[in-house]
Amino acid sequence: MNAPAISIPHGHDHHGDDHGHHGHVTLQYQPGLPLSRGKLIMWLFLSTEIMFFAALLGSYVVLRFGAPVWPKPHHVHLSEPIGAFNTFVLICSSVTIVLALEAARANKASLAKIWMVLTLALGALFLGVKGYEYQAKFAHGIYPWSPRSRVFEKPDLYYGSAVRARLGEPAMIDRLKELDDTPDDKLAPDEISARRRLKQIRQMVMSPDQQAFDLAVVADQVMPLPGEGADAHGAHGLNDTFPWLKLPAVIPGGTMWASTYFLLTGFHAIHVLVGLVVFAIMCTWTLNAKRAGGIENAGLYWHFVDLVWIFLFPLLYLF
Amino acid sequence: MTDRAQHGHHDQHASHGPVTRVGETADETLEHAAHAHDGDHGHGGIGKYLLVFAALCGLTTMSFLTYSSLWPWRDEPHVGWAFMMAVSCTKAMLVVLFFMHVLWEANWKYVLTIPAAMMAIFLAIMLVPDIGLRTRMVSQERALYMPRQSDVRLMEQAGESKLLSDQAH
Repeated sequence: MNAPAISIPHGHDHHGDDHGHHGHVTLQYQPGLPLSRGKLIMWLFLSTEIMFFAALLGSYVVLRFGAPVWPKPHHVHLSEPIGAFNTFVLICSSVTIVLALEAARANKASLAKIWMVLTLALGALFLGVKGYEYQAKFAHGIYPWSPRSRVFEKPDLYYGSAVRARLGEPAMIDRLKELDDTPDDKLAPDEISARRRLKQIRQMVMSPDQQAFDLAVVADQVMPLPGEGADAHGAHGLNDTFPWLKLPAVIPGGTMWASTYFLLTGFHAIHVLVGLVVFAIMCTWTLNAKRAGGIENAGLYWHFVDLVWIFLFPLLYLF
Repeated sequence: MTDRAQHGHHDQHASHGPVTRVGETADETLEHAAHAHDGDHGHGGIGKYLLVFAALCGLTTMSFLTYSSLWPWRDEPHVGWAFMMAVSCTKAMLVVLFFMHVLWEANWKYVLTIPAAMMAIFLAIMLVPDIGLRTRMVSQERALYMPRQSDVRLMEQAGESKLLSDQAH
């Protein structure tokens, strides 16, 4: 083997010989931890990642259980089956990357390539489903940031004035007039009912002597909070019947929920995306035994991403 | 002793001992790593991975047990939460031990994971006084604008009242 660049005393008992050869000593470098440098760096990185996600998850748990009100999963249009499906997808991708590593170690490059492509596809499917879920939140006016978010914490006067402001927008006045003038036979039965309720809501919001209960009725008509065990898509609000309406909605605890949900799942999705980029690059390689170390490190990262989702899923969807 | 040292006799470079050599190219290191695993089919194996996969799928479905009518603690959500966290921790252990091969790694695994895990736990605990208990002592103004359980009840009553649908008839 080559002479080492750095000579480190080896601790053997021929000290006299060492001095005699004036540095022509073959010594061995003993690493601090008995694993390859790539793997060591990946594990060091993962230990920082443990703390990163522990801070995020810890903040979520502490915020959630310290909050006076926290929305139920149905209140924020979360679908448990979709979340469970995504969990299943990530677990499958963890298995495929492990199988890719096994195939690469056995020097079966084409088999490893198949597993790697499958991992890439499953990761992309996860992100696609996540994007669909985000879209469902955005469609209900749930955004992580303020000017776009249409979520209010409680049916108070601030909510009432926001509904009034929205109904008073010039474009909205024209659109509502158009709806009022549409003959009944051009509307679906649920649209006729929704139009009648919308008219009453407009009167209630504009009236000067509205009560707290009236505003709760308005909020319930715009976007009802589905009851315990009710079908998440069963409750149909005015915002669902007329998507252009985009009236402010009330979800008690909803703004804090949106902040934490989008932060946690967003950071997780970024990690998934980074993993997909790595897998896409690896798909262009010949995945033989020489690449096994690289696949192992990418796999370690991917399993960690899976691990985070294993905790995110119950905390966000089932609690 | 390390894993690699135990499998040293399978290794053509065994005479160099359990070390990563200075001056070795990256490719040699990878090749070395691949050789080191040639002999150790004592762990891993596709059958074992598929078993772990089946267990993970089974555990994921178990999280839904709290929603079924068979669940005896429906009035006590904390029991369900504790159960789901126990299920999650079991799943996490399976992934870490088998998929991340930690079960078969040498003792260096404790050097990296235990301090990180402790930091993680302390980090979460340190958030409790300031953030977790933030609503115990709030100003009057904040209490006024804070959502409360009564707001949820108000919304539910509004949903049940059928105020608007009655007026139609």
